[in-house]
Amino acid sequence: MARVPATKQEDSGVPAQAAIAVTGDGDRLALAGALDIVTLAEARIALKKWSKKGASRSLDLAGLERLDTPGALFLCGLRDKGVELAGIRDEHRALLDLVCGLDLEPLPKVDSVPRWRQIVIELGKGAHDARHEAFDLFSFVGRAATWTAGALIHPSRLRPASISRHVSETGIKALPIVGLMAVMIAVVLGYQGVAQLRPFGGEDYTINLVAVSVLREMGVLITAIMVAGRSGSAFAAEIGVMQTREEVDALKVMGIEPMHVLVVPRVIALVITLPLLAFFADIMGLVGGAAISQVLLNVSPTQYIARLPSIVDGSDLFVGLFKAPVFAFFIAAIGCMHGLRVSGSAESVGQETTRAVVKSIFMVLVLDAAFSVLFERLGI
Amino acid sequence: MTTRTRAHADPILSARDIVNRFGKQVVHDRLSLDIERGEIIGIAGGSGSGKSVLLKTLVGLRQPNAGEVLLNGKAVQSMSAADKASQIGVLFQQGALFSSLSVAQNIMLPMREHTPLPEGEQEQIAAMKLALAGLPADAGIKFPSALSGGMVKRAAFARALALDPKILFLDEPTSNLDPIAASGIDALIRSLNDSLGITVVIVTHDLTTLFTICGRIAVLVDRNVTVDTADKLMKSTHPWIREFFHGPRADGAMKARKTGHGN
Repeated sequence: MARVPATKQEDSGVPAQAAIAVTGDGDRLALAGALDIVTLAEARIALKKWSKKGASRSLDLAGLERLDTPGALFLCGLRDKGVELAGIRDEHRALLDLVCGLDLEPLPKVDSVPRWRQIVIELGKGAHDARHEAFDLFSFVGRAATWTAGALIHPSRLRPASISRHVSETGIKALPIVGLMAVMIAVVLGYQGVAQLRPFGGEDYTINLVAVSVLREMGVLITAIMVAGRSGSAFAAEIGVMQTREEVDALKVMGIEPMHVLVVPRVIALVITLPLLAFFADIMGLVGGAAISQVLLNVSPTQYIARLPSIVDGSDLFVGLFKAPVFAFFIAAIGCMHGLRVSGSAESVGQETTRAVVKSIFMVLVLDAAFSVLFERLGI
Repeated sequence: MTTRTRAHADPILSARDIVNRFGKQVVHDRLSLDIERGEIIGIAGGSGSGKSVLLKTLVGLRQPNAGEVLLNGKAVQSMSAADKASQIGVLFQQGALFSSLSVAQNIMLPMREHTPLPEGEQEQIAAMKLALAGLPADAGIKFPSALSGGMVKRAAFARALALDPKILFLDEPTSNLDPIAASGIDALIRSLNDSLGITVVIVTHDLTTLFTICGRIAVLVDRNVTVDTADKLMKSTHPWIREFFHGPRADGAMKARKTGHGN
């Protein structure tokens, strides 16, 4: 009666299968062809009305060439509705018996919380977590400071090899990108300065704007953000992977304090490298300033250098570089803290790395704001 | 090599003259292997003998440096993704369940990609696959991170069976399991082979699995493969095979086999 075409390979990407054919009349129908996961939907539609009828019905399966578990599940469902399955082939009988014999329960529904409640719950969780995070951060920063101070008091406990490796990783390898970023920032500031100051005839002061903001703020800030993204994440991931491979536990079992061998060298290395990188960024920022002055203001590099001492002095440089070791300490401590918080699974390495970067950049900006207020009060 | 045995005319999968090289290191040198329809075959070998590389080659994840793999007479490398997915199921060593999806969603993923079935029906089929793999229905809504080692393997089994494959590849199905869970997996493999007629290829170190459920064993030695029944391999004169089948661990596994055959 009803002939359902096979699903073709070309149009659906599903491999070509034999068609399922439903033949016969009234209460006695016969299935022929293949009843599998591909043809199942068609068979269900073809038999839908028929299977609902009340009278005694039978379905002949002698012509069925292929049967898989979803097909068998469908036939078991028909049998439960009172349809007699006739002419089952021997090779299908075992499969039917197996599938019909399974103790099937529907999948339980996941408890879903209404959206408005979800928001409240998330909010509460967020506040709770934030409190704990802040507490953890301060206690870890305190511990890192204690251990670092302890190592500095007893220099024999320092690990020069480890420190120099981290200095190389976090410092020397970051030079090209930090330098490039500093030049770019100077160029951006230069263009903005010229555009804003020209209406007042003061575009010459762009030189002052670029030099002062690079030395006081931009050089160190760009460097710190770069280092947080580059080295803070690397610290979290390195220590996190060690945590997943139980290397940190192995250290503890051997009586070696992870704070001492993992955290202190990284903190010291970053406290050494970040000021140096920031100084490098300052120089490159001034180079960028010289270039932009030449292009936009026709001020030659020689004139630029000659003007610099009247624009900036040591205090500008000091204000910038004073912040660098503080930023470095927090970036390193936060990176290590999140690395040590990794809990075994590989996903948590990713999560903690992300958190380390977000939190250290946040801390850098908060500290920078605090320093701005402080220096303003001190009148530097 | 030319006088290939013609007793089984129609292997489901046959690897012909496979060569796998990594740089100068040759892992497989003109390796040929026929897997018969409906059998359970074990692939054994020492660490670094290329078991995993062979498995990847057989399922088409790795292009061999030379040679070809034929599945039902068609080259695995040139089969369409959907065709391959409906014929080959793979149980990876760590389960490889997608951690962002629940177990049921893991099982439904290949169905959603390759079949036109509506969601409700997919759920019914997923529940059936869970039951086939010996898991309770409430395991379906759990996420892989909440499952024990044995349950991960069973859930991965259920997902490997999602599209009713003709041939199932198992990579170390009993590794990292306690003996009770491992025996449960062995029984599951045998029952799936019996009732669904699935051809099973097991890569394993587990001698008990090799001795109790594998009809034939392919031993990877000297960059090639020696295929035979366990009994015949026991009599082999090759030093590594002798060591493998007569070491202290093999004796215990043989006992398990004898008691296993009793019932």
